[in-house]
Amino acid sequence: MLQLPTQLHEQIKAHGAKSYPFEGCGLLLGHTENGANVVEAIMPAANTWPVEAEKPVRFQISADDMLKAEMEAMRRDLDIIGVFHSHPDHPPVASPRDLAWATWPGYSYIITQVWEGEPTYSQSWQLLADRSGFIEEEIVESDD
Amino acid sequence: MATIRIPTPLRPYTGNNGKITVNGGTVGSALADLTTQFPDLRPHLFEGDTLRSFVNVYLNEEDVRHLQGPETAVSPTDTLMIIPSIAGG
Repeated sequence: MLQLPTQLHEQIKAHGAKSYPFEGCGLLLGHTENGANVVEAIMPAANTWPVEAEKPVRFQISADDMLKAEMEAMRRDLDIIGVFHSHPDHPPVASPRDLAWATWPGYSYIITQVWEGEPTYSQSWQLLADRSGFIEEEIVESDD
Repeated sequence: MATIRIPTPLRPYTGNNGKITVNGGTVGSALADLTTQFPDLRPHLFEGDTLRSFVNVYLNEEDVRHLQGPETAVSPTDTLMIIPSIAGG
């Protein structure tokens, strides 16, 4: 389960809209609690995928941004608990590329559909322990 | 004894500890000691004998690939961080 304050979900959607027609991406910071990933902050990142023409269907977060996020998380006594990215004009379903390049089970991979420039809805996914696929996890929004 | 900071998803394999102290004078031996202490961690970091392609190791904020890789010297006051590369589609 992913616990996500509504205002942070709105920021994730806005980042997806701002990045359109490219994929937008960033990191989820927070902590784990009783098996749930609890988001307390987000860190939008630049999509540094090296081929401009492929950015509508690919994203990459730079090593520098990953290091900065890790340092920021340590400074705030938080952890990186997941990744967000957008799917321009495609459903927010984890793609074969998302699976091929997935890291570890336990991270939340929240994907937001951006349709013709407007963010619509998000779904969140977790990598299965045997790395064979993703399973959807519930997103629980909160007001705080 | 250097310190290795463990990413959140891997902490179930380290007894939920976020920081592990390890023996070893190099990055390679420090990682070897880590996976000896916590064998279930190994498949998440290594594919065979090499680090998984998305696994990056930083020594005091410097990617060890830009230093001497696994042969990079580690002192007892050093902190190693394991940070994944993130990409998708």
